[in-house]
Amino acid sequence: MATPEQITPEIARLFFAKNERRKRLAALPYPEKVQAVVQLQRMAVPILKNRDKRARVWQINT
Amino acid sequence: MEKTLQVLNTLENEGVLGKYAIAGAMGATFYIEPVLTFDLDVFIVLPQQGVLLTLAPLYEALRVRGYHEEDECVNIEGVPVQFLPAYNTLIEEAVAAAREINYTDTFTRVLRVEHLVAICLQTGRDKDRERIRLFREQASLDMEYLKEILKRHGLEDAWQRLNK
Repeated sequence: MATPEQITPEIARLFFAKNERRKRLAALPYPEKVQAVVQLQRMAVPILKNRDKRARVWQINT
Repeated sequence: MEKTLQVLNTLENEGVLGKYAIAGAMGATFYIEPVLTFDLDVFIVLPQQGVLLTLAPLYEALRVRGYHEEDECVNIEGVPVQFLPAYNTLIEEAVAAAREINYTDTFTRVLRVEHLVAICLQTGRDKDRERIRLFREQASLDMEYLKEILKRHGLEDAWQRLNK
């Protein structure tokens, strides 16, 4: 983590944008968040399989 | 997930379940940014609660419907559901007070965010503390309601320690 003296205005802007994005994600309707969780699962499963961990993407439409 | 919730509602209407509510990461996801998880944690109050805590009748009712156990979960319409019987008074209270919502067109319940915070505090793992941080950052907490819960369940000291 950067110390305050290392945070340039550009970095501060990036942190701010990141926080705003997280707030936007938190405000999404629940079904859209569930779809985002499934997308996270799709991204995580190959990594977990490489580590010999069992995980499966939910088979859902809504 | 809608079909999964419809199955849970049917089980509740038929009396196989007393009452259920979504908890864990999917409960948290209702209030904060989406959290990676591979199962749907559901707290349940069983009809025979207090006599003998057994999931056998529930699992049997699911098996009859063609839903089978996978490790500690039951795969219901593509979603591994982990049923967790309400194992203490905090969880019982949380299920009783759960928010009633509609998931698209299907009724369901999600634990109130203040109860999710209290349960994380009671469980106390690293990931629970991290989740509390996210709740505080992204969710609207009713602090008065939360304080009452913490007091009722002896969690005030744990809350103070977290805030140090």
